Amino acid sequence: MIEFRHLFLRLGTFALKDVSIRIGKGDYYFIIGPSGAGKTVILEAISGLHLPDEGEILMNGRDVSLVPPEKRRIALVYQDYSLFPHMTVEKNIGFGLLMQKTDPKEIKSRVDELLVQFKIEHIRMRYPGTLSGGEQQRVAIARALASDPEVLLLDEPFAALDPITREQMIADLLRIHRENDLTVIQVTHSREEIQRMATRCAVIIDGICVQEGAVGAVFETPENSAVARFIGMENIIPGSVSTNESGLVSVDVSGKSIIAVSDVSSGSPVDVVFRAADVTIYRGEGDVRTAQNHFKARITALVPLGGPLTEVYLDAGFPIVALVTRRFAEDLDFITGLDVLISIKASAIRVIEKSL
Amino acid sequence: MAQISLIRDRCLISFSLLGGVILGLTVLALLNMTVKELSDIPHLLRVATDTKVIDSIVLTMAAGANAILILMIFGIPLAYLLARADFKGKRIIETIVDIPLMLPHTVAGILVYILFMKRGLLGAPLYTIGFPFEDAYPGIVVAMLFVSSPYFINSAREGFEKVPVHLENVARTLGATRLSAFRHVVLPLSAREIYNGAILAWGRAIGEFAAVIMIAYYPMVISTLIYYRFSTSGIKESSTIAFVMILACFSVFLVLRHLSRFIGRHDDRV
Repeated sequence: MIEFRHLFLRLGTFALKDVSIRIGKGDYYFIIGPSGAGKTVILEAISGLHLPDEGEILMNGRDVSLVPPEKRRIALVYQDYSLFPHMTVEKNIGFGLLMQKTDPKEIKSRVDELLVQFKIEHIRMRYPGTLSGGEQQRVAIARALASDPEVLLLDEPFAALDPITREQMIADLLRIHRENDLTVIQVTHSREEIQRMATRCAVIIDGICVQEGAVGAVFETPENSAVARFIGMENIIPGSVSTNESGLVSVDVSGKSIIAVSDVSSGSPVDVVFRAADVTIYRGEGDVRTAQNHFKARITALVPLGGPLTEVYLDAGFPIVALVTRRFAEDLDFITGLDVLISIKASAIRVIEKSL
Repeated sequence: MAQISLIRDRCLISFSLLGGVILGLTVLALLNMTVKELSDIPHLLRVATDTKVIDSIVLTMAAGANAILILMIFGIPLAYLLARADFKGKRIIETIVDIPLMLPHTVAGILVYILFMKRGLLGAPLYTIGFPFEDAYPGIVVAMLFVSSPYFINSAREGFEKVPVHLENVARTLGATRLSAFRHVVLPLSAREIYNGAILAWGRAIGEFAAVIMIAYYPMVISTLIYYRFSTSGIKESSTIAFVMILACFSVFLVLRHLSRFIGRHDDRV
């Protein structure tokens, strides 16, 4: 329903470069990437607030370059909510309908309906400056939905909310998306939000769309190391493929060999990528040279994560991070400097060829 | 809060002392004049009820207000453009806006005079259709407009710049055209700066002398009248007119400043 075709857009020192994405009707689509990567600019481009220098934006198959923002039926909610400070909550929510010259009676009934739906009737006569962050958020979303848009754009909607309000808001947004058959495009740099809410996502790094697809696919099979790092692959280890025997590669990493399933040909520089949770640690001595992906390692640091988990930093000739329960670490008397054995499941390892 | 800290805070005490000097100068000058004027009440009353004086004060304030009204119609769009649009030559436009600030007032007067005089580039055609500027009310207005424009434009521009672009963007995605976003969001949110800019520019317009007499010695604005009486009847006569003008200005601006508190009040709440 919304499609970017080779979009180039320069804005001061920032630029979107050759961005092509496709967002389907009814998707809960996420645009993710580090801060300053150009995510908000993409939302503004969809709204029609910036015109592309090159390439086109299609909506329902039509090029919308010449359609001004007010005719696009797209509602945008900024991170700071951008409520009109000189209007009451009621007036804020009714603003869009007023601009579309809706009958005042109709505006009132629609506003009443939204006030009930978002549980903000009690603040209808208040001004935005006196509201809490959560209340402002509700007003902003109610205002965006008032004129029944086809697409809702959300720019980091949870960044300024306390955890309880945030949980509530996530549940509300998922419900709104489901009930209204709405296309939602949300910008974030939180991995957790993506995995809980998104159907599809695009990873934007430095103005370039690095990967696009279903959330599961992006998180399971990152296409390059930057994506892998962003989606939270803790171990990204550079090496080079020494042999490839019918799909089973041996990657040379600081003199050690890591075995993985891949079709990368021998001699290629690669990154070996796997999650900390896929590393197993056990106590014991003995010869490990014969077993696949078993290494001797020394604990260099223990970082409790605040919850039941602890991150274990190890040196196995190359640095490696493992994730264990705190209980497990205590039972095995983990301390810095301790020698242990580790193993990595071959099926959990991805080998990503370095683009030159 | 300020009262307590003023007593305890040495920094604020010394700042008050230094600031007091500048206030003291104005107050001393005013008191000095007030005492002299009040020592001859009959004379004061005679001057204050002189129709020539009253007419001149009314003329000055009205011409000033007239200039500001025209300035608002043309200045607000310009201020908005300068605040929002980025274009080549913006620096040049900004400098042009500020020119009246930098020029000596006599120079401003000459500029206005040779443009609007009977044989002037704009003055000539306007004169033929029955719209004279030389020694006429429009001449006063145009001179005041010229010298007060930067005060208004810069203040309004600051007001527009203070309104976050995001608010305008949101208004537009909600269905407002650029013009309605300007009318419903930008304008109300910068009302206070526009109002303050208008007061500042009005004050500047009322005070203009050099630029005004060059194009319009008659009808006499208050500055011209005071100068005329000073050179023909002496200091006593002219200083009494000055005193009456001070009283008029002081009361008008006090009321205007008070009113400004009710404009754009949402600011204080945030």
